[in-house]
Amino acid sequence: MNVAQSLLVVLFAPLVSAAVIGLFLRRQGVLASYLSVGAAAVIAGFSWIAWSGAQGETAAVSFSWLKVGQLQIDLGFLFDGVAATMLLMVAFVGFLIHVFSLGYMKTDKARARFFGGLSIFMFSMLGIVLADNLIMLFIFWELVGFSSYMLIGHYMETNAAKEASKKAFIVNRVGDVGFLIGIVYAYWQFGTTNLTEMGAIAGLHPEMLNWFVAGCLLCGFIGKSAQFPLHVWLPDAMAGPTPVSALIHAATMVAAGVYFLIRIAFLFTPDVLTFIAWLGTAVAVYAGFCAYAQNDIKRILAYSTLSQLGYMAAAFGLGYPGIALFHLITHAFFKALLFLGAGSVIHGCHHEQDIFRMGGLLKRMPLTALTFLTGLLALCGVYGLSGFYSKDGILIAGSLENPAIFTLLCGGAFLTAGYMGRLFWIAFLGSPKSEAAEHAKESPLVMTVPLVLLAVLSVIGGMTWLWPDTLGGLILADLDHLHHMEGYKAAHKNVLLFGSAAWVVGLAVSFFFYGAGAREDRLEKLAGPVYGFLQKRLWFDEIYNFYVAKIQQRLADLLSFFDIFLLKGVLIRGSAGLVGLFGLGAKQLHVGSLHSYVYWFLGGLVAFWIVATGLLF
Amino acid sequence: MDTHFLHSTLLLGSIIAPLLAGVALLFGASFGASLRRSITLAGFGIALLAAVILAANFDAALAGGYNFETKIDTGLSAVGIFLHLGLNGISLPLFLLAGVVGLAAGLYALHSKAERPHLYLGLLLIMQAGLMGTFASIDIFFFYFFHEFALIPTFIMIGIWGGAGRRAAAMEMAVYLTLGALLSLIGLIALYANSGAESFSLAALREHLAGQPLGEVVQSNIFALLFFGFGILVAIFPLHSWAPKAYAMAPTGAVMLHAGVLKKFGLYGLLQIAAPLLPDGAANWFPWIAWMALGNLLLIGLVTLAQRDLKMMLGYSSVMHMGYAFLGIATFSAIGAGGAVLMMVAHGLSVALLFMLSTCIHHRCNTFNMDEMGGLASKAPLLSALFVAATMASIGLPGFGNFVGEFVIFVSLGADTATRWLLAPAALGIVLSAIYGLRAVASIFFGPPSEAFRERWTGDAVTDLQNHEKLPAVLLLASLLFVGLLPGVLSGPASAELTHLYPEAVEVSVFDQTVRGETNAGQMEDVHE
Repeated sequence: MNVAQSLLVVLFAPLVSAAVIGLFLRRQGVLASYLSVGAAAVIAGFSWIAWSGAQGETAAVSFSWLKVGQLQIDLGFLFDGVAATMLLMVAFVGFLIHVFSLGYMKTDKARARFFGGLSIFMFSMLGIVLADNLIMLFIFWELVGFSSYMLIGHYMETNAAKEASKKAFIVNRVGDVGFLIGIVYAYWQFGTTNLTEMGAIAGLHPEMLNWFVAGCLLCGFIGKSAQFPLHVWLPDAMAGPTPVSALIHAATMVAAGVYFLIRIAFLFTPDVLTFIAWLGTAVAVYAGFCAYAQNDIKRILAYSTLSQLGYMAAAFGLGYPGIALFHLITHAFFKALLFLGAGSVIHGCHHEQDIFRMGGLLKRMPLTALTFLTGLLALCGVYGLSGFYSKDGILIAGSLENPAIFTLLCGGAFLTAGYMGRLFWIAFLGSPKSEAAEHAKESPLVMTVPLVLLAVLSVIGGMTWLWPDTLGGLILADLDHLHHMEGYKAAHKNVLLFGSAAWVVGLAVSFFFYGAGAREDRLEKLAGPVYGFLQKRLWFDEIYNFYVAKIQQRLADLLSFFDIFLLKGVLIRGSAGLVGLFGLGAKQLHVGSLHSYVYWFLGGLVAFWIVATGLLF
Repeated sequence: MDTHFLHSTLLLGSIIAPLLAGVALLFGASFGASLRRSITLAGFGIALLAAVILAANFDAALAGGYNFETKIDTGLSAVGIFLHLGLNGISLPLFLLAGVVGLAAGLYALHSKAERPHLYLGLLLIMQAGLMGTFASIDIFFFYFFHEFALIPTFIMIGIWGGAGRRAAAMEMAVYLTLGALLSLIGLIALYANSGAESFSLAALREHLAGQPLGEVVQSNIFALLFFGFGILVAIFPLHSWAPKAYAMAPTGAVMLHAGVLKKFGLYGLLQIAAPLLPDGAANWFPWIAWMALGNLLLIGLVTLAQRDLKMMLGYSSVMHMGYAFLGIATFSAIGAGGAVLMMVAHGLSVALLFMLSTCIHHRCNTFNMDEMGGLASKAPLLSALFVAATMASIGLPGFGNFVGEFVIFVSLGADTATRWLLAPAALGIVLSAIYGLRAVASIFFGPPSEAFRERWTGDAVTDLQNHEKLPAVLLLASLLFVGLLPGVLSGPASAELTHLYPEAVEVSVFDQTVRGETNAGQMEDVHE
């Protein structure tokens, strides 16, 4: 089987699964879940086949989908090193999360809908990974948005899910407006939206690049990867089931924004890149602060995801797409692990999500706790774990390219260790602080085995020397580029020093400040205003809610009033002359009944017929 | 038998079958339910079957001319009027649309609880005959005649079976639509009179005007008549106010056929007749079309946000989406016009589906007020899945036809600096439609049921979709997916025809003119060497 065929199987297996579930297995939760997991296994297997078949070569196929006038839209695959790396990650992490879901969703009544949704998501996400042009990317981009909407709204009888799903879709749509405009401009500028062709043209004519197209396309990234100012949807999206948070809102979909940037890296001008670097840095620090005022285990992780996406954006903006991809991959491993760990905790504690109502879980759920700790340490960038290598790359790049950004990102690393330490010390150490935590039990194997496998990946995932040659070309190239830069040695030393200090100090400070198994938030008690400020998260949600309720809705109501009373009542009805103007006998129409109008019309028609056919004359 | 004869007979049959069925039912007060059912299904079924067979045998290579042409003298040949039927790439998609929506409306109407069902179904079938005829007509007199033929049953149906306040709604609709129809009629007659072609045949007019185009002033005046006339029929801003109310009052079958198909008559007239025959007129009126279309997209988009009544909301959203089609036509390019064709088909299917499902919702909640619903998804999962799908289609989710139409129109706006400024405000429309669409879904289906709905909700009154509701819904949804996944089937013939009628978009970009210029210059030098 050749590469293209394997990729077709990869792409369509989940679609078939979703279609079969939607059409026939709506009430067969068990069958539906096995089918969906089976599809995920097929994806993983055939991704492997496709990757080993390609042997590091780029495979590209496309066919014409639509032709209108001179506009031609193709659908096709661009399977290069970047796509292969991303595909293997999505396929493998996705498969583990599917397996985990078998246990986590076992008692859910709407299991079929859930697993159908996961399959639709896999289909859409794989489409993004493989797409060879901007239009196809956009199509699947919108589809992941839809599957995210569907899965966030899984517990649809709750108000939280109802609001969060709507918010996620609409906020993403705002970003997609920019994306869409960018595509249209790019099409008319390059005469194509094919990534390879555009890259070639951009390489030949760098003067064609301009900030406008890049900026428009950037909006898509800002929405999907939840960057300023469209980040508000991601924390609320935690209303979905935890495996969904792991798969979509941590490991794959939100990172698709970064992947998209990497795919179109050739379009960016230096000023836009600088903007992205600062944007990412700002989000990395901002989200780090926000996490301190959250008590919900999933929301803490959500802010951590925001922050790490900021790191990826910063790496990209500094001119190192390969390192952004590197962090994307390692982040997928340890963040999926952390979310699934949180899921295991929530499952064990009967849907308790408040860390101040947990405690003592290390003893009760040792496997979950240890794997969670592994993920945590990887996230903090502890030496030798996966997060270390990728974060190391970002910090070195920062230190070489932009010291201000480097300083802020080091501060961000400290914040990360602090809030993650807070989570772990409070939820896993000490004694249980609620009935649910008291009776917490370790999760079944179907959930813990994926945790262990992800923990292994979180440890070794960053060791690039273990990777096969055909993987990670761009990553290795960028790392290599760093190595050969002037001042690399000094920068590396700096990063080792500051990076390690950040996590050691962060974990220690949070341990001594909050205390193991604390019952209440010490920051809140000691510095209420600071805590309150962090809790407000710079009032983004308040401002948007104000806009929606007080400006947009009032404008809509006002226009609706105008529409009904002014346009209809005064302008249209009032100017009966408009009708009279054409000598229609307006009066007759206005006072006559409907039936008389009909007869009048038919009469006219008959008269015309008679005259025209010359029956009378 | 000669296949051409067979096909052109089939074309004629697609009009006559529903007409005969309709007339039979009008006089069929004594028919039993099963006979009524058979006649109705035969009428709508033959129309759709004919449309599908003709589509399968359609030859896009005949672009510029017509497939399945047939010409019948009805005694009006002295003034150049024939019953001249045929299909081209623009009319074929709409002809199919009429067939699909017609059958769906008929299937749903069969189970309507309307009094005097034979009249209800009969009028619906007569409407269907008019619709098929409108899009099959090459002769612009019959094009117009069939439109009126379908319009009159609409008024009557609203007048008899409409909701509370139907008289006023029917009256307002009648006044507006008569005005619109009259303006366009005057425009069409003026076109005929000024062209000197001595024929109402569009093909003849086209040929004649290609050789001797009308003067710019004449073009501009006739185009104005056609644009405002057709515009009113499509509910262009600010002449739209008849639409939401009439749709809110109209019985389901009538609204499916009118909002879904008949309303496209105006756009079709602009695309097929007004813009290609009067290019200078279209160019002169471009700013008007553009601004009025933006009114549809943005102002009506916002007005839609304010609606709490489900049917009013759907009515306004349908008015809003017409803005895209107008913009596509306004670009005066094959791409824009092609986008408009796809948009018309997809919108027709999705709006018919949404109106139908809104009636299904009404049967369960006993209200159209969205504040008094909630939590319906747990009681009626299939209904909610279908409604979500239809909403996603109408807000332009890829996979459904609406996305393709909108996207192609967006691309067409970017082709030229004159239209490029429209791109950003038009694209904002996709946010507005997402807001009202998802709000509606959330308040009808998600969350806990509202206080007002709770009693009904906890009882047994609320059930999921029944078979007779499923069938038409699935038919419409499958068609939407078909257009969305394989748009080339419709856009291929349409594009072939449109490239005959519309100029190519000039591929100039604000950025790359210099680059291309240099490349060309470089190649020239190479040649010299």
